Amino acid sequence: MIKQLAQRLLGPLTLVLLVLTFWLGLWVTPPDKIQGNLARLLYVHPAVAWVALYVSFGTAAVASALYLWKRTRSQVMDRIAHCAMEVSIVFIIVTLITGSIWGRPTWGVWWAWDARLTSTAILGLFELAYLALRRANDDPDLRARRSAVFAIIAAVNVPIIHFSVDWWNTLHQGATAFTENGNLLVHGIMLWTLFISLFAFTLLFFWLLRARYRLEVLRDEKYHASLDEALAQRRREGVH
Amino acid sequence: MPDADVSHHVTPVAAPPIKPRGRWRTLGVLVVLALAVLALLSQGLLRSLNYFETIDQAMSSRAKLGTQTFRLEGVVVAHTIDRTSTGASFWMSGGHHHEIFVNAHGTPPQLFQSNIPVVVEGHFTSETSDRFYGTQILVKHTASYISAHPHRVKAPNGTVR
Repeated sequence: MIKQLAQRLLGPLTLVLLVLTFWLGLWVTPPDKIQGNLARLLYVHPAVAWVALYVSFGTAAVASALYLWKRTRSQVMDRIAHCAMEVSIVFIIVTLITGSIWGRPTWGVWWAWDARLTSTAILGLFELAYLALRRANDDPDLRARRSAVFAIIAAVNVPIIHFSVDWWNTLHQGATAFTENGNLLVHGIMLWTLFISLFAFTLLFFWLLRARYRLEVLRDEKYHASLDEALAQRRREGVH
Repeated sequence: MPDADVSHHVTPVAAPPIKPRGRWRTLGVLVVLALAVLALLSQGLLRSLNYFETIDQAMSSRAKLGTQTFRLEGVVVAHTIDRTSTGASFWMSGGHHHEIFVNAHGTPPQLFQSNIPVVVEGHFTSETSDRFYGTQILVKHTASYISAHPHRVKAPNGTVR
């Protein structure tokens, strides 16, 4: 009952929060002291990057680990990992595009070969490689196992991306919202809008993941139905 | 039992051979992606793991740097910016009171201003000089976001003064 209600509310709630984010971000929040109106990208870029790196890739990595663990091994885990990885690619691309749009007027360049940007681009390539790897295997078990191992290896890149701004000198700014000491970096309504955007884009991910998962289930059902149909047809041919 | 009768008439057939073309294509894509990752690693992480040298780092390894090209980071000293027809010249300060005069060519970014951290790509003008010739100015903005006009009040008609 609660699960059904949550599933029904997920879409509308996501939509409402996204509209709220854009309304707050475009009309209510003030321009930044240094960046002026450019700072409004604060309500899109960090949230999309948060989903791309931690939520979606994290979901894929955890589902892959659960698939590899014998106790929790199931087709469901493999499907979740696959679908989360596909959605993650969309978010990674949007992260790189919005970052580039922000970088041109602030830094002065569309792209910089610093550690944060390069390692994020590498993660995007890892995700593409994951999907290519899935297509290279016809055996479902082998495919699921190999791609799960690959996802876990690729996940090593996530902490590298996260800490790159602390480990090395990067053009990309450090942590958004809080300093290492817990001091606020974003102030007033700007901070609340940032938090709402993080929540809104996280819900958007789960909405997209759910839709993609259902599509995968339907595709599998169609495949098995057509296989049964083909077998039945073969039997009928055998009779005549 | 009609199904049982039917099964006697069905002769097993060998599964059709899997076309290897699709698999080779996918493996080709994987190889291209692996090469792309290697290219990104060599370009981004191995060559410029540290995207810039701070002024203090540059001054401590001044002799080693000579006149080689690198990226130098510091804060633009207030009231020292002189915009020229070819670019801008200004003083840049580091953490330990080191200051370097920068003469940069090219249009500075939109946010270039006093007291902002910048990264300048270029080189020292001679082996011993502390003057820096820049070919590109990049602004390194901080993660701090503060309202531009926090004390502005809203008029009854909704406009901001």
